[in-house]
Amino acid sequence: MTTTTDLARASERPAPPPDADPRMGRSAARLLRPHAWSFAAVVILQVVGALAGLAPLLAVVELGRTLLSPGPVDHGRVWTVMIAGAAGLFVRLLLTAASSGIGHVLDGRVQLSFRRLLAARLGLVPIGWFSRRRTGELAKVVGEDVSALHPVIAHTPGELVSAFVVPLVSLVYLFTVDWRLTLITLSPVVLAIALVPLMMTPTRLREQEEFDAAMGRIASSVVEFVQGIAVVKAFGGSQRAHRTFLSAADDFVGVFLRWVRGMSVVAAGMQLALSPPFVLLVVLIGGTALITAGSMAPADLLPFLLLGLGLTAPVAALGHGFDDLQAAGRAVGRIRDVLAVRPLPEPAHPVAPQGHRVELRDVRFGYDTDREVLRGIDLVLEPGTVTAVVGPSGSGKSTLVQLLPRFFDPTHGSVVLGGVDLREIDSRELYRLVSFVFQDVRLLRASVADNIALAVPRAGRDEVIRAARLAGIHDRILELPLGYETVIGEDARLSGGEAQRISIARALLADAPVLVLDEATSFADPQTEQAVRRALTTLEGDRTILVIAHRLETVADADIVVVLDDGSIVERGSPAELLARGGKFAEFWRSHRSATAGGTETRGGVPQGDEPR
Amino acid sequence: MIRLLLRVLGDEYARVMRRTVALMTITAVAEGASYALLVPVLRALLGSTPADAVPWLVAFGAAVAVYAVLRYISDLSGMRVGTTMLRGMYHRLGEHLARLPIGWYNADRVGEVSVMASRGVLRAMGVAAHLLAPFISVLVTPLTIVAVMIAFDWRLGLAALIAAPVVAAIHAWTARSTAAADAERHERDKEATGRVIEYLQAQPVLRAGGRTVERFQALDDALREVQRASRRTVLATLPGAVGLTLAVQAMFTVVLVSGAHLALGGNIGAAEILTILVLAARCADPLLSLTDIGGKLRGARAELDRLDTVLRTEPLPEAPDPILPVRHDLELASVTFRHGERTVFDDVSLSVPEGRRLAVVGPSGAGKSTLLQLLARFYDVDAGAVRVGGVDVRSIDTRVLTARIAVVFQDVYLFDGTIEENVRLGRPDADQADVRAAAAAARLDEVIERLPGGWATNVGEGGALLSGGERQRVSIARALLKNAPIVLLDEVTSALDPVNEAAVHEGIERLMAGRTVVMVAHRMRTVRRADRVVFLDGGRIVEEGTHDELLRRGGRYADFWDISMAPVAGE
Repeated sequence: MTTTTDLARASERPAPPPDADPRMGRSAARLLRPHAWSFAAVVILQVVGALAGLAPLLAVVELGRTLLSPGPVDHGRVWTVMIAGAAGLFVRLLLTAASSGIGHVLDGRVQLSFRRLLAARLGLVPIGWFSRRRTGELAKVVGEDVSALHPVIAHTPGELVSAFVVPLVSLVYLFTVDWRLTLITLSPVVLAIALVPLMMTPTRLREQEEFDAAMGRIASSVVEFVQGIAVVKAFGGSQRAHRTFLSAADDFVGVFLRWVRGMSVVAAGMQLALSPPFVLLVVLIGGTALITAGSMAPADLLPFLLLGLGLTAPVAALGHGFDDLQAAGRAVGRIRDVLAVRPLPEPAHPVAPQGHRVELRDVRFGYDTDREVLRGIDLVLEPGTVTAVVGPSGSGKSTLVQLLPRFFDPTHGSVVLGGVDLREIDSRELYRLVSFVFQDVRLLRASVADNIALAVPRAGRDEVIRAARLAGIHDRILELPLGYETVIGEDARLSGGEAQRISIARALLADAPVLVLDEATSFADPQTEQAVRRALTTLEGDRTILVIAHRLETVADADIVVVLDDGSIVERGSPAELLARGGKFAEFWRSHRSATAGGTETRGGVPQGDEPR
Repeated sequence: MIRLLLRVLGDEYARVMRRTVALMTITAVAEGASYALLVPVLRALLGSTPADAVPWLVAFGAAVAVYAVLRYISDLSGMRVGTTMLRGMYHRLGEHLARLPIGWYNADRVGEVSVMASRGVLRAMGVAAHLLAPFISVLVTPLTIVAVMIAFDWRLGLAALIAAPVVAAIHAWTARSTAAADAERHERDKEATGRVIEYLQAQPVLRAGGRTVERFQALDDALREVQRASRRTVLATLPGAVGLTLAVQAMFTVVLVSGAHLALGGNIGAAEILTILVLAARCADPLLSLTDIGGKLRGARAELDRLDTVLRTEPLPEAPDPILPVRHDLELASVTFRHGERTVFDDVSLSVPEGRRLAVVGPSGAGKSTLLQLLARFYDVDAGAVRVGGVDVRSIDTRVLTARIAVVFQDVYLFDGTIEENVRLGRPDADQADVRAAAAAARLDEVIERLPGGWATNVGEGGALLSGGERQRVSIARALLKNAPIVLLDEVTSALDPVNEAAVHEGIERLMAGRTVVMVAHRMRTVRRADRVVFLDGGRIVEEGTHDELLRRGGRYADFWDISMAPVAGE
């Protein structure tokens, strides 16, 4: 048994114990219930097969008894025994293969249903929940963590049960043959188990902790190393991060070596106690003593030589499956965590909103309980107006606009659309009414047309093209290898600005009466800026538009400007009014204009920016 | 497998590795050979004079003791080799990663490399420490036992030996068919992961379109493909596992039946035949675990392959006789550069005299940032040359080149450490006054004043605790401290808040003073500071001149700025 000093075991870092939610544990159990019969079949086939595997060994025993018995050999009996032995082998082969096959197919099915459940759940959680998690980690839960269940589903049940049942049956049989030699045969197993506590001493456990910590340092130093590689290179090759990584690695190797050394004697003792030569030696010593004393028939030694070795199986199996089980346990913990996230509550009796006037009534919101991001916002967005939100970074602008498509629910107060609280509106209906263009554009690996028509799957090609034209991306799409059928990410890549324009086309096509737009701070090119402005002007009319503005021209075009500072509205009014008032907005306007002077030009009822020279 | 291991590690480990393998083999042979002593022991015990067994039993005890010692030594040796190789592997990987061209690092690599460098290395090196010994023992011990059987009764021994080539053939065949299925599965897994990430990131839009998981067909298809691939893997592995078991069991059955036949014919004694059958059982048992160990070895091998691929990626070649450039003018001479399939630059030439400033303007995706990276030799060009002070960058010692160039990136990466450490990265041996001066010039001092721990404030991994504008200032201070004659500047596209915007501009202005500068510019205000402007599009320089000249020319460049300034039509 090599487990205790097993590198593979070390390769999985234990996560903190998952705070299991019993409710979700049940939902996981529910997933397994339809497969209960298959599980039973896997276990039963495996156990029966493993027991059948004893037949050839027993055949040898019987052969021995027959041959060693005084008098002429019973030929018929010998051949019956041989046939029984061979049949046992065949049955074993058949059943274990069937068990393994069913187990793996079952595994595939269970994994699929787990993945579907996870995906379905993730499709219901509040959108805001994602912003605080790394997509990669969530994808890992759906992918790797579900895969980690494989040994538990496909291997452990059958193997673990037979690892106990088979030795138990052997043990009972051996007891009927000779109880004294049975006890002697068991002594190596007892010896091995007696050594286990030696591996759990405080020193060993501390070493294990050090080990995990050292592994963690390697992982974080390598992340830093790789992420900062450009800086590492630009400032003189292998310097700081590189050294950090190497010293973390050396550190780890040191800890590892100490750990292994501490374990090696005990582990070697265990391995020796369970090794076949040692077990055979013990059996033979006991057998010789009993046979020479004349208290046991020589033929009775055979079953011990053949079956005795199998008695060590449970100990070995425990060690063998342990790592996988631990890894699977951690994976289940993470899967449960995801399943335990409360989905955004759907209204029991959805109410249809009348019109699309938006009202925020004393809205308060905080991501954490101790820090409020929005502190009592009262705001009315009238249909047919553009409201621009300005304010320093960190003032709560993004949070505010994300409340409209209900990425979060406010912690206090309410967001009302057409006279109905967002929480009372069916989510499908809500998304039909509110469309949004946010900064982080995400295109699907699908055709350009599908990407634009994402929110309106039934849209015809003409409508898609019209939206694309309006967003200033039509010509670029025609340049792509397959035009509108080009699969993004496979046939062609789009730049950041182009992706932005696709997302604007998406919003234009959705044609929702309420539009929320985060005028990205990072519009990559002037064409995209132009597309945004054109979208705004095209869409005006009866629509309710809320935009986070970064460019002065957008602000100047707005009907109402709201200045947000530290989660509260400090000023509101038309741009000209606010400018005349000489408050925060005027200050913002001036500093902004001087900072970006020359790069922008404004128009409308506000002072002009620098003319291009 | 071992050959791959040694190639990944380098030859210096070949000797210890060979010694360890030899030790493990000897241990396995010792185990098998010790069973030879079972023959006289059992002959005596099953015969008429059981007491004769005692001396043989003592001998068997001694053999077991020898085996125990050998096993301890070989396990320890395996462990030691494993640990040494682990350390060697970490160092080799670390050194290599630092030398790989920056172009090799893309977004996917971060995750891939960090998994590889932590758990992957451990898993791969686990081969020596804990997979090799069982693997060798599983193969060698049964063979030794067969040899003992042959010595004892050649007929039955040969019957057992027939299984050997069959087992070997099945093992090889399984390995091949599984590898193919594994590769396919890996592909499907990757595809599904991609779809899951897409599904998660596109949640807002997907929900807007009413596409829950059932209706987002692409994801469900990918998940089902994973299941199908895993089913195919089972189908590919099962015949091998069954075949192996069948072969081993057939061997045992043949020995059993022919043994019985011989015994019934009186050709062999009862004690002898029973001993042989005990040996045959000992022979069959370990072979049955071959499938299991084989699977684990394949897993480790896949990990090793991944390491091997990374280690075999060539770093940029170092010049054998480096030339020291004396001037600091920059030149791209007929440069062609491809990135994967895509031609980024097609025969581009430009030059920047020492002390002058060149602005690079163009639509996104035109290759502006790549141009800076070629100058800093983050990549090598496919044709033409990049020259600093008239010397091809490939002929300049990397350290010399790095020392001459200060880069201000768009995305500033800060290391987990204090703000001071991060600034000092520019010049580790700078004295306190220089560091303070650089910070003041980049207007970083006002940021530091606000921070709770001042200069000793920890910025968090990736500089998470600072805002974008503040990170920019750190990056500028870093470059100022470095005081290199050449400055490469990738202006942030994103709008900063006005305070940061002004501070960053001021810092950049100071950084550019008196140096040779190439800047990727997104703001007209920045461009106006340049002596010359190139407009880049589609991998070529479309227009070149001063800002005013180009505006007057009314070409692409003028269009480019016009778009962002012209009033929107309509309304």
